[in-house]
Amino acid sequence: MNMKLAAKVLAKVGVIGFVGFAATFTIYFFNLENKLIYYVVRPLLNKHYDSQVRDKRIV
Amino acid sequence: MNCPVTKFIDSKMQKFDPIWRAENGLGGQRSRYYDKTGVAKYREWRGVHDTLVDYGAWLKNLSAMVKMVASAPIPCLKGFWEYRWMGSYLGTFMFIDRLFEGYRGLELKIAHMHMYAIVQSLTKRIAYILSHDRRLGASEEKSSKLVPIDEVLPELFMTGFPDLYPVPLQTLPEFIICDIDQHIEPYYIDVAESFGLPADVCSRCAAETGVALDDAFPIVGKAVVTTNMPCNASEATSMFQRRRIGLPDYQATLAMIHNEPAALPFSRKVMEETIAFIEEHYDTKFNWKTFFKGAKRMNEQNQIELEKWDYFKTPYSPLVGIAETLYKLYEWQSVNGADPYYNKVDRKVIKIMRKAYKDKYEPFGGKTRHRAFLWGPSAVYYTDFPTWTQNCWGINIVLNMDSTMGHNMVNTEDPDIAMDDLTRLTEKACMRHMAVGGWDNVNSVWEWATNFNCDMVLMNDNIACKGMLGVHAMMEEQARDLGFHFIFIEHDLEDSRTVSRQDMRNCINQYMSVVLNEKPLDPTIVEFDDSAAY
Repeated sequence: MNMKLAAKVLAKVGVIGFVGFAATFTIYFFNLENKLIYYVVRPLLNKHYDSQVRDKRIV
Repeated sequence: MNCPVTKFIDSKMQKFDPIWRAENGLGGQRSRYYDKTGVAKYREWRGVHDTLVDYGAWLKNLSAMVKMVASAPIPCLKGFWEYRWMGSYLGTFMFIDRLFEGYRGLELKIAHMHMYAIVQSLTKRIAYILSHDRRLGASEEKSSKLVPIDEVLPELFMTGFPDLYPVPLQTLPEFIICDIDQHIEPYYIDVAESFGLPADVCSRCAAETGVALDDAFPIVGKAVVTTNMPCNASEATSMFQRRRIGLPDYQATLAMIHNEPAALPFSRKVMEETIAFIEEHYDTKFNWKTFFKGAKRMNEQNQIELEKWDYFKTPYSPLVGIAETLYKLYEWQSVNGADPYYNKVDRKVIKIMRKAYKDKYEPFGGKTRHRAFLWGPSAVYYTDFPTWTQNCWGINIVLNMDSTMGHNMVNTEDPDIAMDDLTRLTEKACMRHMAVGGWDNVNSVWEWATNFNCDMVLMNDNIACKGMLGVHAMMEEQARDLGFHFIFIEHDLEDSRTVSRQDMRNCINQYMSVVLNEKPLDPTIVEFDDSAAY
């Protein structure tokens, strides 16, 4: 019984590990996080930064 | 690797390997990029083993960033919303990819060990500073244990204040972020110039001033330690920052011409006054016991560094180019004996280097054609320049001027001797020693290049540095007399609009093709437009 349970847990961990590896390796290899940052996140952030009003004085 | 499975995978994936493509006339590093942007269509295939090393390092860096946000979620979000420079840190992954393009084997392994040391330290530091930033809502009391100090003042003396947390003020919003994103500092430079600051000062000083005027420095602590390092424009910058930040400050103005023994008592007095200033404003006492602990760590770092230099002199050093420079700069300038993690990394790296030397391991598959010493302050907006020189022309930067900073040992038993040693170490800080520390230090480049068996000297020429403009002709004459290949690389330190990355590459391209009549290792990276890249 215990062996069966252990095998089940191991199999689950293995599947989760494999899916995790496949997903993160795909993001890594196709540079997906950088594409998202460069084409979507940074333009939105820059729009926000450009709209900020700053009080520019020396003192 | 002899495993048939990895051989099979490699044969299927080699079309994604830019080095294989360049060797087979099918493209090269640049073929995998979208034009201008610096965004790669896919990451470099480096063979099964090295791709997994790179992937593992990517995961580790990602986890450090997740930890940063998880440790202080609200301050981090507020920081992203408030500070333009925080947005630029999102370019870190692209930055790391650029730095280690073409790296394989041991040079890749060491490069990532070094990079992770920086990433884990920096992310912790960002989270800590933002959560104590008064601009973002932290109370005065909460931020009262933080001590903002000028980023070019080495931090070793702060290990004598174990209850205080030193913050190199300009590192986050100006220096490191310019390495990551070439478009961030021009914004701050424009802020300073639109206020009336002359446009012909060092762009680094202009950028720092712009950050101050834009209210983009985190406000922490009770008092600031500024400095005259490394130049007079820097001194002016300190004054602008003093006015805008509005905290009490002490300017640690150690002697510039510090080779002169008579300068030591003066500089020592400045060091003592710096310590007294902190004691007074933070109501604490300098602790020699903890300082000696920090000094021991610093001494170990320097001892290992000196051993590394012996390997750099040979063709068998897997620690090369920017992997060496960036780590050394951060370790020396920002860690400076304060973080034991760096000692651990140093011990591991030196073991790898010893073995590599024994095995006669040549980095970059033995494709290096020239060994170069890189002198002068490097362009901060083109940190991966040494990577490009190797990948394109086979020029291996074996050591950089910034890596030759103070390496004297500090006494760890006698406070009187230790104070002298600490002063010597601090005087020989980044840029200050070689760029503005007197003619002998500038001119020592030839000795360094000879000792490290270099046939080439690349002289970074910050076009706005008034201190170095006068030495052009003299350096060229000496290079001719001594028989070095010598190339001036003009740049504008932190303003990529004045001298672009391609302009810098052209300085090398012209010498290599016209004077030496050599062919590039990878023709796709001789000339390309990366003006829109971070």
